[in-house]
This record gives sequence, C-alpha cells and structure tokens, in this order.
Amino acid sequence: MLLPITNASIVARRAEIVAALKEIVPDGVVADPSGLATFDSDALSAYHQMPLVCVLPSNRQQVSDILKYAEGQGVPIVPRGAGTSLSGGALPREDGILIGMGRMKRIIEIDYENGCVVVEPGVTNMNITKAVEANGFYYAPDPSSQIACTIGGNVAENSGGLHCLKYGLTTNNLLGVTMVLPGGEIVTLGGKSGAQGGLDLLGVITGSEGLLGVVVEVVVKILRKAPVTRTLMASFDTVPAAGACVAAIIADGVVPAAMEFMDRRAAEAIEDFNQPGYPKGAEAILIIDADGVQADVAYAVSRVIAIVAQCGGKTVEATDEKQRARIWSGRKAAFAAMGRLAPDMICMDGTIPRHALPQVLEEMAKLSEHYGLGFCNVFHAGDGNLHPLIIFDTMKDGEFERAEAFGADILRLCVKVGGVLSGEHGIGVEKRDLMIDMFTTAELEQQGRVKCAFDAQGLFNPGKVFPTLSACVEQGHIHVHGAQLPHPHLPRY
Amino acid sequence: MSRVANEDQVVDFVHAARAGKTPFEIVAGGTRRAVGRPLLDSKGADLPMLDVSGLSGIVKYEPAELIVTAQPATPLAEIKAVLAQKNQRLGFDPADWSMLLGSNGVATLAGAASCDASGSGKLRHGGARDSLLGFRAVNGLGESFRGGAKVVKNVTGFDLPKLMCGAFGTLGVLTELTFRVYPQPQFATTLCLSDVTPEDGFAHLRKIALSALEPAGLAYLPGNMLAESGQGAALIKLEGARQPLEEKIALAHGLLGNALRRIEDDPFAAIGSGEQFADIPGDIWRVMIARADAPRLAKELNVRHWLGDWAGAVLWMAADPSEAPRIRAIAAKANGQAMLLRGSAASRASLGLFAPQPHALAALNRSVKAAFDPLSLFNPGRL
Ligand SMILES: Cc1cc2nc3c(=O)[nH]c(=O)nc-3n(C[C@H](O)[C@H](O)[C@H](O)COP(=O)(O)OP(=O)(O)OC[C@H]3O[C@@H](n4cnc5c(N)ncnc54)[C@H](O)[C@@H]3O)c2cc1C
Repeated sequence: MLLPITNASIVARRAEIVAALKEIVPDGVVADPSGLATFDSDALSAYHQMPLVCVLPSNRQQVSDILKYAEGQGVPIVPRGAGTSLSGGALPREDGILIGMGRMKRIIEIDYENGCVVVEPGVTNMNITKAVEANGFYYAPDPSSQIACTIGGNVAENSGGLHCLKYGLTTNNLLGVTMVLPGGEIVTLGGKSGAQGGLDLLGVITGSEGLLGVVVEVVVKILRKAPVTRTLMASFDTVPAAGACVAAIIADGVVPAAMEFMDRRAAEAIEDFNQPGYPKGAEAILIIDADGVQADVAYAVSRVIAIVAQCGGKTVEATDEKQRARIWSGRKAAFAAMGRLAPDMICMDGTIPRHALPQVLEEMAKLSEHYGLGFCNVFHAGDGNLHPLIIFDTMKDGEFERAEAFGADILRLCVKVGGVLSGEHGIGVEKRDLMIDMFTTAELEQQGRVKCAFDAQGLFNPGKVFPTLSACVEQGHIHVHGAQLPHPHLPRY
Repeated sequence: MSRVANEDQVVDFVHAARAGKTPFEIVAGGTRRAVGRPLLDSKGADLPMLDVSGLSGIVKYEPAELIVTAQPATPLAEIKAVLAQKNQRLGFDPADWSMLLGSNGVATLAGAASCDASGSGKLRHGGARDSLLGFRAVNGLGESFRGGAKVVKNVTGFDLPKLMCGAFGTLGVLTELTFRVYPQPQFATTLCLSDVTPEDGFAHLRKIALSALEPAGLAYLPGNMLAESGQGAALIKLEGARQPLEEKIALAHGLLGNALRRIEDDPFAAIGSGEQFADIPGDIWRVMIARADAPRLAKELNVRHWLGDWAGAVLWMAADPSEAPRIRAIAAKANGQAMLLRGSAASRASLGLFAPQPHALAALNRSVKAAFDPLSLFNPGRL
C-alpha cells in the first residue's frame, strides 16, 4: 500500500510545533523517539510510521486548542484511541500530530432512568459494561478487543461484535456525541434524547474513521441483561451444509443473539490451542447464542435444533455457564490459535449476502490454491461478515505481497457478489485502494465532499479511507515477525 | 409539475433545474407536504414540483436475507402487505401522518424515511435510520449515486443512508431504498394500567423499558385522551410467539402488579401516527426529550391535549400558535427538540421544523447540505 507524501516543511518546523503543543498540554506531549515508538502503528502491524509528535490531551478545551493550532499551521491530525484498529486507521504520519485520547477516560454519568451512560472517549468498551453490570445492565456492542479498545475508537469505526446480529452495531447504540471539529469548534450531536434537530450528523460521524473531527464525549444506550442465554454448537460434514443452515435459520424468523461459523482448519487450530471441546471431525461448526426470556429462548433453541437436523448437522448444547464460556473463549481465541500455524497472518473483513456464502467459500479455496497460501474461515455468519485469516511468512520471499494480493482478491469477490469491503473493521489504509472497486468516481466524490464539509483543509487523517489520486511515495513495509502481534493478550475479533 | 418514471428522467430533470437555477419540491405520495417551512419562490409562489410517484414498486424482496429493495414511492401499505405474506415487517415502524395532516395522498416508503417518521415501535428497533441499509439517489449535480449497500453490516465509506433519513428531501432525490426487515412476531398484546398520574405512569413505563421484556410500545395517555375517565393510563405493548408472550405478560405483572389488564385493540397505531390529534385544533408538536424528564416537562408544558410515547422520550401535544416560543424554550432548556409537525403556513414559515441550531452546528448542517446540493435545488428551506 502506498502512503502519502510527507510535507517536509512541516517536519522542518517540528521543534516549534512541539513547543506550541507543550503550551497547550504541558504534561502530555510525547516527542522523544522511544516514547513515540509505542505509537508507531496500530493492530495492522504491517505498517509503521513514527508520528511527528504525539499529544495526550486531558480535556475537550485542550483538544479544541490543539485543533485550532493545527489548522492555523496546516498540520495534519491523526486521532488515536487504543490503537487496536485492524485497518490502519490510527497509523501516524511523519508530518502529523497524533492526538491520543487515552487520558480522557472518565465515566461522566450513569443514568439508569434514561438507560444511558455518558463517557469520555478514552473509556474502554469493557469499562462501560463493568460500570453497570452489578445492576444487571451492559453495553451491547462487544468487539473481541473490548478490554482494550476505546468507545471513541468504536464510534470512529462503527464497531460490531459477536452479538450485533441482534443488538446492532455501535451506530444503533449511540444517543449522542460531542466532538471538536477541525479548527477547534465544539458541537454536540444528539444527547440523552437522541434528537438532533437537523441532519443526522451523528449517523455520518459514526464509522467516519477519524476523518471528520475528534470525539470528546459519548452517550451510549445500556441494556438489561437477558434473563436467559443458551449456547448451541452445530457440526456439519460439509461447509455448504453449514452455509445453507445459516440461511435457513435466518429465513425461519429466529434472531439468534450470535451465530458464528468456523471451518475445520480453524476449529482444529483452536482445539489445539485452548481445548474448548469442539466436535471432532466436522468440516464446519456453528456456535449459536439465543437470549431473552426463558420461553423465547426455548422456542429459538428448538427451532435451531430442528433446522440443523434438516440441514444434516448435529447439535450439542452447553450444559452450564462454564461450558458456555469455554465455547466462546475458543471462538475469541481464533486469531491467536491460527497464529501458531504460521509466523504471520492478516484478517480480512468483507460482508456478503448470506446466500452467496457457498459460492464465496468455494472461490476463496481456489484463490488459496492460486496464491499458494493457507487460510481459514471464522466469521459472523448471521450477518454475512467474513473474517478469512490468511497465514503466511514474511521471511519467505514475496509471501507478504502474495498475502495482500490474496486478501484484496477476497474483498473484490465480496463486492462482486453484492457485498462490501468492510463489515466492521473499517477501510483505513488497508483497503483504501480497493474503494474504486466498490464505488464509482461520482460516489467517491460525493463522499469526498462530505469530508470537505467538515474538514475543508483536508487535515484530518489524510491518506485514510479514500484513495489519494495524487502522487504517493512508497514507504518500506516493516512487519512484526513471529509471535510479536500487537496486543497479544487480546482475543481476536 | 413533472412526472418521472425512472432514474434517468430524474437526472435530466435535475440538470434542467440546475441550468435554470430553479429550486423544486420533491413529491412522492404527497402526504407530508405540509411538514416544515412552506416551499415558495422569492415571489411567494409555489415551487415547481418533481412528482416521483411513478417510481413505485418493490424491486427485490429477499426474505432469507432479511432485505427488501423498493422504489421510493412504493406505498407503505403495499410493502407491509408483501412482507406480511412472509411473516416479516420493515425494520422500522413507519408512521403514516396523513390523517393528522389532513392529506388524502398515499404514504410512501421514501416519505417515511426522509421525514424520519417512526411510530411507537421505534422503542424496539430504532428509527428509519437504523434500518435503511442502502439507497440510490440523484444529487444536486445531477449525478446518480449509491450510498450504503445491500448487506446488513457495512462500514465501507461514510454512512450516507443515515444522512438521507430525516433530511426531509433536502439532500437528493431518492430513487431506490434497501431496508432491513425483521420477522413479524406471531402475537402482540397491549396491557393497560388505568387511573395513574403522569409521574407514576411514566415511572411504570421506564421500569418496563429497563427490563428485558423488549417492549414494542410504551405510552402514557392522560384521561382526556382516552375513552375512559380517571387520571390517565400507561400502555404497554408486548410481542412474541404464544408461550414467550405469556411469559412476558406474567413478568410484566410481576414488575407492575396485578392491576395491569389486557386490552383488546392495539392503540399504538393511532398513537404513533398522531391520529389522536387529527381532530384537535392548534399546532401539533413532537417534543423529543430524555424520557425521565417526561412527567416534569408535561407539567411544565401544561397543555390540555398531550400524550407521551417511547416511554416518555417523545411528548405529542396540541397548542395554540401563541404558545410556540414557550414550548421551544422549555424543550431547549431540557436539551430536547420541539418539532412542529402540524401548523398553519404562517406558523411553519416563522418557526421552521426545529428551533435554530447553535451557530457552529448550523454552519456544519449548511456545509453538509451544500456537499449534496450546492445550488440548494431540493426542497429549499424545508428543514
Ligand atoms: C484482537 C482484536 C480484536 C478485534 N475485534 C473486533 C471485533 O470483534 N469487532 C470490531 O468491530 N472490531 C474489532 N477489532 C478492531 C478494533 O478493536 C476496533 O476497530 C476498535 O473500535 C478500535 O478502537 P481503538 O480505541 O483501538 O481505536 P484506534 O485503533 O486507536 O483508532 C481507530 C480509528 O478511530 C479513530 N479514532 C480513535 N479515537 C477517536 C476519537 N476520540 N475521535 C475521532 N476519531 C477517533 C482513529 O483515527 C482511527 O481511524 C479488533 C481488533 C483487535 C486488535
């Protein structure tokens, strides 16, 4: 992937910029190389870039002052939460200020009567649930990175999770945000009432990958935990049978809380890794959660068991909470488990119409042969969101390039069958150049004008999401080799 | 008035309007024309109309994908009937305002989405913006473009479908919409707790909202809005297959006590569409607030005809036009939004649909509008 040209005149003014930022945030400027090195990449670890400087504001006024200064000086801004983006959304720029939101991590208000929580952007996804779970509540979107990723990052990526089949993505669970616009103006969109009194700008901010401003406060809905949750595992002799079963369950009118698919290779790797007790010998496995009141769940479970049987599969149910947790911990460790099969991997994130599943699985197998690279499939089957994991070894000549080409072909395939490039990880730098495979020039220009409506100078996260048609300079790929994945302690998606 | 029959004709029409710098009004079924500022040219005459009612019909319905794609002027009634045959319903609960607004037109899909017209079911599945997955439209440059996609999960580029919902037709001429659909629950029941004060009634509704019962409607109606005497009633709509529904009803009794009784008819269609106010004179407002503020604000607003839906997050009310500044001020103080849904042309012209936004936000709204429609051709001033 090509990265944009660095503006050398900004880099030349570095000392002056660092000094100005220290005026604004005296205790929160990182400028020394070893300090900056911690910020030089996100979870798309193939790409590294030291930022010009990193600033860690602790309140919205500081954010506003930084953005005002940056606009006056024409310096690019890259917002960053916890740096768990899988698409390079938080990748720094050599000529840009990285603005890290991690210090703004106060839970401002828990308001049960209105069913919402008001937080600063640096609060982790998990800490929102932790703050309310003693009272039987939780925040529904549950990315597997939830112990680390921030709510600000979730808003910027419109993150999903295992349970968004029933409960929606970030965008469906947000009531409001306060954000600082490029130039420093502060606006509030929505709030506890959810009403905006104008265009739904909250909707367009969500999933905008740090291109439109810096989110400084978030109001999210919280939900009462379902009284009953039951977990089923269904195993199949063939992959198409499992695919057909997913479609049949959805068509039947059952809305499981989660429905996850994994193929044999993934299941075996996971079984070796943490022994969740997955059925042996199956070509494909589905893990299905049903939640709600007891009778609702009983009804859903009985329908799922019947449909699985019709599709030629076998079902087993988790007998207790411990087993439920084990089954899910296996699923969440898919990435780490696959990591043991090869030194490197990349995780793709396309969404397809569910009926195209068998065709896409077959064509992916052909691509795998063509590129001579292994892969496995784990995905959010209920909503057609694929996460093929491509395994390779950078030390072998050309494998990284082949892996990227394989991944790009998978995403093109998703688009070809009527799907999209990204279901929940965002475009970032990773899929930027594929946008032309999905959108016409007029469509990209329309989105570009929306960007300009917020950021006339184009200073916010430049080089992300939209293909830069101007000349670009190639930066070397420095890839973390071996088991040194960023955030190794996290379960993957 | 120009009628179009396909997207190409929309493109041609927009090009002509651009060339002549003539703004126009977009009309599908025409039921919501009386919402927002009246659309007039500088001499006070009606704007020319682009009639898109010919763009009607379901393009593709894929029950197993939980997706339906339809042309913009497809009648809500038609789409509901087609989905019902497969035991499904739209992902949002579109409200038909035609009775309230005294229109004999046909409520359409694009009209409901553009005006963010969500009925009582918003509580459960969100508004139009939560279920519009993708669209095709023609922008103010006369270009046809797509936003979103036809899959249920997508973060590829900006989420333009959200912007189109609630834009009141000011960003583009929609030519196709793809919605998420959901299974239709087999049964629904409304429970009623009679003769309760607004304080108690809303407190009961919040208790249900905070439970795991996934209610499909939670409204409070004062006594004068009901066919019965007493202070008022809290209404709770629950849905599900037979047994789960019975369980939910039992749980609701457990939460609120045994005074809860089942009522035969479903009152929520009339509540969510504003039908309750059709015959009441005056301006009709929808005041959107944090739900726990409902009893306090209802008291402060102090009007004769009102009700609270969405567990209190929206107060519907009728008021004399002279009350407008007071209503807007109360809403603003509570960080809410008072939307003038029905009013005389004069009220609508002077008040607008919503109160003016703070300076920076208003400027941002204007730039986003200009990003789609730089010459301000589409429904100028309506929002
Ligand atoms: C192990 C692992 C598992 C994952 N599982 C999932 C999953 O299940 N589902 C899923 O959807 N994603 C998943 N992800 C991806 C990632 O965790 C999410 O995209 C997450 O929302 C990123 O949050 P962050 O705080 O780390 O943001 P960062 O990575 O720091 O930033 C992400 C983007 O948000 C912008 N941004 C951050 N904060 C702000 C702010 N305050 N204002 C404006 N812009 C901001 C950045 O500029 C960048 O473009 C996973 C990642 C990992 C490493």
